[in-house]
Amino acid sequence: MYDSLLNWLIFTPCIGAVLCLLLPADKAKNIALGTTVVTLLMTVSLALAFKTGMQGPQFVTTLDWIPAINVQYKIGLDGLSLPLVVLTSALSVLVVGAGWKIGKSPNVFMALYLFLMSGMYGVFCSLDMVLFYVFFEISLLPMYFLIGIWGGPRKEYAAIKFFLYTLAGSVCLLITMLGIYNVTSSADFINGNTWDMMALQSEAVQALFAPSGEYWYFARWAFWLTFIAFAIKIPVAPFHTWLPDAHVEAPTPISMILAGVLLKMGGYALMRITYPLFPDAASLFWECVATIGVFGIIYGALCAMAQTDWKKLVAYSSVSHMGYVTLGIAVLTRTGFDGAYYQMIGHGITSAMMFFLVGVVYERAHHREINKFGGLWLKWPQYGGWSMLGFFAGMGLPGLCGFIGEVMVLLGTFHAADRAGADPTFVYILGSFAAFGVVLTAGYILWMFQRIYMGKTREEYEHFEKPNAREYAIMVTLGIAALIFGIAPLLVFNYTHATFENLMAVIGLAGS
Amino acid sequence: MHAMLTLAELTSDQELIRKLLFCATLLPLVSSIFTLFLGTKWLKKQTGQFAVSAMAMSFVCALFAAFKFTTGDVEPFTWAIPWIPIPGREAGYLYLGLFCDQLTVALMVMVTLISTLVHIYSIGYMEGDKRYERFFCYLSAFTFSMLGIVTANGLMQLFVFWELVGLTSYLLIGFWFEKKGPQQACKKAFVMNRVGDTGFLIGFGILFAQLGGKVLLPATDGGMFDAIAAELGGKAEIMANPPMWLTIAGIGLFFGAIGKSAQFPLHTWLPDAMEGPTPVSSIVHSATMVAAGVYLTARIFPILTPAAHLFVCIIGLITLVMAACMAVVMTDIKRVLAYSTLSQLGYMILGVGSGAYIFALFHLVTHAFFKCCLFQCSGSVINMAHHQQDMRYYGGLAKKMPLTALAYGICTLTISGIGFGSWSFLSGFYSKDGIILGSYNYAHELGGWGSLFLWGPIIVAYITPFYMARSFALTFLGKPRDQHLYDHVKEAPKTMVGPQLVLALFAIISVPWILPWEHMIEMTQQSLVANGVTWIPGLHELHEAHHGIAAPLLFGLAGLLMIGVGIWMYKDGFGKAEFLLKKVPGLKILHTWALNKFYFDHLYDIFIVKMTKCFAGICSFIDKWGVDGLVNVVGLWTKGLARFTGGFDNKVVDGLVNGAANSARAGGQALRTTQPGRIRVYVSLLFVGLIIALMFALTLVAN
Repeated sequence: MYDSLLNWLIFTPCIGAVLCLLLPADKAKNIALGTTVVTLLMTVSLALAFKTGMQGPQFVTTLDWIPAINVQYKIGLDGLSLPLVVLTSALSVLVVGAGWKIGKSPNVFMALYLFLMSGMYGVFCSLDMVLFYVFFEISLLPMYFLIGIWGGPRKEYAAIKFFLYTLAGSVCLLITMLGIYNVTSSADFINGNTWDMMALQSEAVQALFAPSGEYWYFARWAFWLTFIAFAIKIPVAPFHTWLPDAHVEAPTPISMILAGVLLKMGGYALMRITYPLFPDAASLFWECVATIGVFGIIYGALCAMAQTDWKKLVAYSSVSHMGYVTLGIAVLTRTGFDGAYYQMIGHGITSAMMFFLVGVVYERAHHREINKFGGLWLKWPQYGGWSMLGFFAGMGLPGLCGFIGEVMVLLGTFHAADRAGADPTFVYILGSFAAFGVVLTAGYILWMFQRIYMGKTREEYEHFEKPNAREYAIMVTLGIAALIFGIAPLLVFNYTHATFENLMAVIGLAGS
Repeated sequence: MHAMLTLAELTSDQELIRKLLFCATLLPLVSSIFTLFLGTKWLKKQTGQFAVSAMAMSFVCALFAAFKFTTGDVEPFTWAIPWIPIPGREAGYLYLGLFCDQLTVALMVMVTLISTLVHIYSIGYMEGDKRYERFFCYLSAFTFSMLGIVTANGLMQLFVFWELVGLTSYLLIGFWFEKKGPQQACKKAFVMNRVGDTGFLIGFGILFAQLGGKVLLPATDGGMFDAIAAELGGKAEIMANPPMWLTIAGIGLFFGAIGKSAQFPLHTWLPDAMEGPTPVSSIVHSATMVAAGVYLTARIFPILTPAAHLFVCIIGLITLVMAACMAVVMTDIKRVLAYSTLSQLGYMILGVGSGAYIFALFHLVTHAFFKCCLFQCSGSVINMAHHQQDMRYYGGLAKKMPLTALAYGICTLTISGIGFGSWSFLSGFYSKDGIILGSYNYAHELGGWGSLFLWGPIIVAYITPFYMARSFALTFLGKPRDQHLYDHVKEAPKTMVGPQLVLALFAIISVPWILPWEHMIEMTQQSLVANGVTWIPGLHELHEAHHGIAAPLLFGLAGLLMIGVGIWMYKDGFGKAEFLLKKVPGLKILHTWALNKFYFDHLYDIFIVKMTKCFAGICSFIDKWGVDGLVNVVGLWTKGLARFTGGFDNKVVDGLVNGAANSARAGGQALRTTQPGRIRVYVSLLFVGLIIALMFALTLVAN
């Protein structure tokens, strides 16, 4: 029963989308809300039925799709995907809430959004490379329209930039996929070549991609190609410039889902595809990847500090925070992986919250110039309080969800010092730079907070209407989530533990 | 999921103490949450009383726990629950919990007592403020964070509360965020603390890398670092020839303390933090935040290598001397006290570093009482003087506010370390005297230039009474310099005077022959020694030497002498001082330098703040024109190429249009056209085409 429920989860949003388009436009919001609530309930029941001790995927459905080339429709949930699916479902409800006042053809907006949801679920649930690729691309298209139609003044530029950037990454992925498919024939699968992600993690395939294996040269290239494909999505500096534009132009709810879930596809795919498939290449290049991650942390934070557009600041903070994800994965320690994963969940909550907080003000002020604000705290004390919670969670304050990911990544980085082949001095320097990131983060967040929230209320904002109950509901939900996940990380780790254990064994780091 | 740690079963006494400490720690949090949500709606003007009663209950719990602990002969214990999984390391988790030894209970009592008094004081001071309720919310949350530090059972838990202290101090210092000053000050405090925290994280990371999960283990009864010390093997041997990383890790962790305790070079946030309401100053700069750094240094004491000890001492010495010089020239009463705090913290840090462990922590306690009292007195004066903080407008206020003057006077004597031989009726004498003895021993040990560690504290022991007497004389003695202000001043209300007098009383009765502070701290040191921490020079001798050398005589009378000089010089205003400034060569320059805080703020502003901003600007520029420029250029080229192939396609290969070519051209046109509607259509065409082409290709390959 739960197996079919997972299928329903992926395609229910599609049904909702079609209904949105068919029924009168003013019903669209309600349909969308209904659909997201239903999928949330489905997700919750899946999470409850999920066996936490199991390493492999659960609720697996396998159907032949293109039998001639062994393409399967294979989906399932494991510890790596479940928390992200829950995040997607929960954020979706809030996103529909945030898009409640969309004026321009709300039915199309909601329909596209629901299509996007299907794409996101598909990405997190696919266990077949081709299927993954298809969903990865499908999630692009609605996003393109959502930015391109409902966006700000430079929406066309931002939308096409987003689209082409990611598509460039997809090409890298596609090349690698075809390559993998071709070379795996020498791994002696009974049914010939395969796209099955789980089968590709077998020892036979690993042997091919090992330094002593037949395809070591290919593996090194494939590692970098897939890394770039997903690095664009994360986004890792210097492949990040689509992100600030996309965020600045996107409407609030779309920014929320873009930062909250779509970026996580990159980190997820690194953990799902790149690292388990090419662990030896990964450990060969780890210093390089880790340096890129640390560079992203510092560079993103410095760029954020220089912004005068509030939303752009938050967008660059995403670049900085996702740098921790790259770093955590790159250092190849269990703590680093766990931390990177938690950072994704935490960032999913805080970035959505930060973008929403910006959106609430933008809707009233119609501008985002940080220097033109002031005294919002005095004007709306409650909003100020929740803002503080949201931004400080982003800053990584203990007790809030940003802290746990950051500190685990840092500890994981230092832990790399006693991994075989790592130079402790290099690791310490790396860790020191990553730790220094927290100062810069505090710098730009507090400076922004001072300019926007503190001081006397400016005259032009005296007439502002207060955030309404809907807006508060979204803020409060995200705020409480930030608090809960900051206090009880085991809520997530109980689900991920067994899968990560397995993942570490695949990567060959079971002991560390 | 991971191997769980098995901790020793607690005895019934320990269990009781654990519960009491738990209550004592959590009551302020509960009170804070309660006032946050119900303060403005329900409690209103009763918020103060509510918060005070919660704090008082917390104090009673702590007191009872301390009583039980000291009289019941209870062994130190630890209690923990797993929090964050750190897989692949022995401990398996970061733990949250509680560690309790003599030092913990002593500081618990001290913090809750002072916090209670500050809460009471705030009722009077904050009366009429439009965010009255919110103030108590922050104040209680701040106390909770500090209690969390004191009860933390491991470095990482300590760090959690450490950061929370940073946050709550940010809220308190920036309480009047409408004004520019508090905004800047609270930001500065937070960021500078974070600089220190970075050091802490690096130090902790290095320990973690080198020692593994043992650093995550909750403290066991030998002190917080028992597990680490055990890992290091024979401690004395290790310390005789310590590895480099241990020194770096120790200094890294100590950097956290530099930030929180506002030591050189991260000291500049503390004087600025005076922008907060005075009750905040009185709690931040006495029993809590700044004390946390000293507490941390004491806890990491067992792993500090000799080189790290030297580093700690140097930092303490610089802060001690520098801050004392600045305190002499300030005219803002709160700033005098702020620099005095810096200087006293320098004493404590120097004390821990030089091995006067007991006296440094004892000084932490005594200083907490008298400095809190001094701040409260200054707050009363400021409040009555219509927020005039400049002593140039004071004078002769003793007649108007005799009780405040009395409390201020007692604490001035205490901080000056007045004593007779080896005996005093004031607690400050015992604690400061011990620190000077410690540095004497340390200087002796080092030899040569190490004698700086002796002369620094001694000279400052002469400066301290002078600047304190100066502030006392300028404020309370002589003739009023601003008659209008003088006429309006009256004694502060009972809620403010009461706590002042209680604190002054504690400044007296904390002497070792009345209250057992020193004794409790000594027990902690003994357990350190029992666990093999022996590499500190003269740990025992220090305590022995305390009872009977001539040095105390010197310092004790120095206090009286310098107070006399201070009062004589300043009781009639600035006349004599200005005369000296004119006549003595070189004094003017020193005065200007000290008045400008030795230009640290300017230096940091130029070299750190401006440079970081400049760097941020450069990064942003590179991002916009470098990285993104490249992307746009690639886009343009592709567009040109598409136009070319498009033309080629139209003219040469006309008629030979198949599905794949179509989609490619569509892509080219999508890039070329600038009409939004068409872009959308073309890109979707491109996309659909791509997918179809892919499927087609795959099917072909398969067949």
